[in-house]
Amino acid sequence: MRRTVLKSLLATAVMAATATMAGLPAAYAADKEIVIGGSIPMSGVFAFAGIGIHAGIQDYVRMVNDAGGVEGYRLRYVPEDSAYAVDQSVAAFKKITSQNKVNFYYGDSTAFSKTINPELERAGSMIMSGASFATELNDPEKFPFQFIAGPDYTQQFGILLRYIADEKPGARVAFVYSDTEFGRDPIASSREVAQSLGLEVAIEIMTPPGAVDVSTEMARLRRARADYTIFHGYILGPIPEFISQARQLRLDTQFMGTFWTMDNSTVMQMGELADGFMGVMPYSYYYDDSTSAPMLDKIREMRPEYQSVPYIQGFLSAMLYAETARRTIAAGQEMTAVNLKTALNSIENFDTGGLIGVPITISGNTIPVGRIYRADIQAKRMVPASDWIVLE
Amino acid sequence: MRIGTARSSYRHDEALFDSRTQYAWLAILGVALLGFPFVADEYWLYLACLVAINIASATGLNILTGYTGLVSLGQAAFMGIGAYTVAAFEQKFGTPVLLNLLAGGFVAMLGGLVVGLPSLRVKGLYLAISTIAASVVLHFVFANWHSVTGGHSGITVAPAEILGISFDTSFRLYWLFVPITILMVIGAANLFRTRIGRAFIAIRDRDISAEVLGIPLLRYKLLSFGLSSFYAGVAGGMWAYFFRVVTPESFPLLMSIFFLAAIIVGGMGTILGAILGAIFMTMVPEALKLIVGWLPLSTDATLILSPVRTIVFGALIVGFLVFEPLGLQEIWRRIRRFFHLWPFRA
Repeated sequence: MRRTVLKSLLATAVMAATATMAGLPAAYAADKEIVIGGSIPMSGVFAFAGIGIHAGIQDYVRMVNDAGGVEGYRLRYVPEDSAYAVDQSVAAFKKITSQNKVNFYYGDSTAFSKTINPELERAGSMIMSGASFATELNDPEKFPFQFIAGPDYTQQFGILLRYIADEKPGARVAFVYSDTEFGRDPIASSREVAQSLGLEVAIEIMTPPGAVDVSTEMARLRRARADYTIFHGYILGPIPEFISQARQLRLDTQFMGTFWTMDNSTVMQMGELADGFMGVMPYSYYYDDSTSAPMLDKIREMRPEYQSVPYIQGFLSAMLYAETARRTIAAGQEMTAVNLKTALNSIENFDTGGLIGVPITISGNTIPVGRIYRADIQAKRMVPASDWIVLE
Repeated sequence: MRIGTARSSYRHDEALFDSRTQYAWLAILGVALLGFPFVADEYWLYLACLVAINIASATGLNILTGYTGLVSLGQAAFMGIGAYTVAAFEQKFGTPVLLNLLAGGFVAMLGGLVVGLPSLRVKGLYLAISTIAASVVLHFVFANWHSVTGGHSGITVAPAEILGISFDTSFRLYWLFVPITILMVIGAANLFRTRIGRAFIAIRDRDISAEVLGIPLLRYKLLSFGLSSFYAGVAGGMWAYFFRVVTPESFPLLMSIFFLAAIIVGGMGTILGAILGAIFMTMVPEALKLIVGWLPLSTDATLILSPVRTIVFGALIVGFLVFEPLGLQEIWRRIRRFFHLWPFRA
């Protein structure tokens, strides 16, 4: 009896292993479906974003399928946890693409986007976006089948600098960034942008990524007498330490951040120090009711509790995948990487239902639009400090 | 000893494989390795290549830590040297793949010799810290020597090409990486049948006694560092051809810990230990994902189970260390020993 059970268990395991190794497709027919694969960081250091991204994509896919799909095609979302490690992200990519006919893919990092680029070109069957806003990816020649569902880091700096130039022409600006690829990304290019806008880059301070003691850097920042200080390459630390020391020194500078610092929960973690903190955000916040936003209304209906900005980014990415597929199918074309990218680049003045407050146009590999928000510690919310700024 | 394999000569006694049964199993393994690419899909081939790279590097670390007793947390940095050398050679000179890999190994070896210098004076945790310091210095070099390393953006590597065949898929890379790794493993196994290998073991067991026996400590410790770094360099070179992008963040300290964990879990001081440890550390996270994938759960459950999987992986490592401190190779040895007397003793 025991042997029979063991034998059947072994047989099942062997069959399952063989099926998995041979990459047999999923049980149901794949003829009328659009597959979205994803290396999503559901665990590891980036899980705070991955969980939101996953929920955003999942919700949009469910919403579209409930409404009948895209031109008769059903969306299917196939995620795998990447743990924010390149080798695991690539493993997830290989697994998903060898078992499904993937049309769109969501990647979790700049390193993954760069690593998988030759594979995307070789496959020629899918396009990809992801959690990276790296300036390097905004090059349709080098990354022909990738895009960023928002502005790249240089463009985010550009939006901040444009706002500063309007508010205080000729202002002195400080760049504080981490000594990482992420931190260094927009610095050199933004120096030129600042100059063209008539702003003076008073100082550039590079810190180790996990810096705790910033006294030396603070002394340099104080001497620079910057009107605005832009942080980049951090999620939160060491920003609160900088603000805390600046308050003690009565330093009169406006602190600002970029996308990954700007989630409501991240900013509010700073407590009182967050009051007045500003930054660039490419998307409307979950609770933003300053303009009509039917899609945000739907999100709030589906999920009554606050959803992070990575959620909105995931949701918008899925929306752009669906719109791209719709345009490709409507044009009677096959869903190849070239056709999908052409369809994506044909998106002009597209209404995102309020996820971004103005109609969007894909320019190069990005959507160069954003808005400046300011932290209101009393309301525990980020409130708009500018109108939507669209870069040319 | 396996039943019916009485050793009649020293040569036979020293042989890596001493019975027909072992040769039969080796033949089966060989056939399996040859046949694997034709039945496996891209995902499994990718994992096979990754396992091959990790085995090569873990074997190198095992020479240093497992056999010579010098703890190193610089293996990832040495892999980085190899990867950057291969990337730079490929980009700037377009030299042949095998030459690039050898160059990667030798440049890493030079790095290893320099980093190994303090090993004459410091041991244990102190040496581990000095190798971490070397990793930090190397990370700085990778990030700031723009003309060679491309700075923070790194270098994009063209696919390996041999005789006009581009090794741009896991299927093709398998035929490059697996033979190289097999050669490296056989090389390491043979090393410990020589005077050099035995000197390493003597140093590990008691360095002062080894010196009394006439083993020059500095020379052999540096040799061990050099060989280990050579292995890491070649593994790093394969890594560069595999992932095709090399950045300073590609080889973090965590990666060195990964290799140290691999040889501890697998069994330090044995060739099989490094192999089993590398397979375990690479495959268990994926196997856990597969198990979760087979469960009839929604994608929401996948999300919830992701951190649980990490905990299970950690618990498995702790479990092995507690219940089998000699590592996976000891479990394997016990299983083999059982069959040595089979069917006479069940």
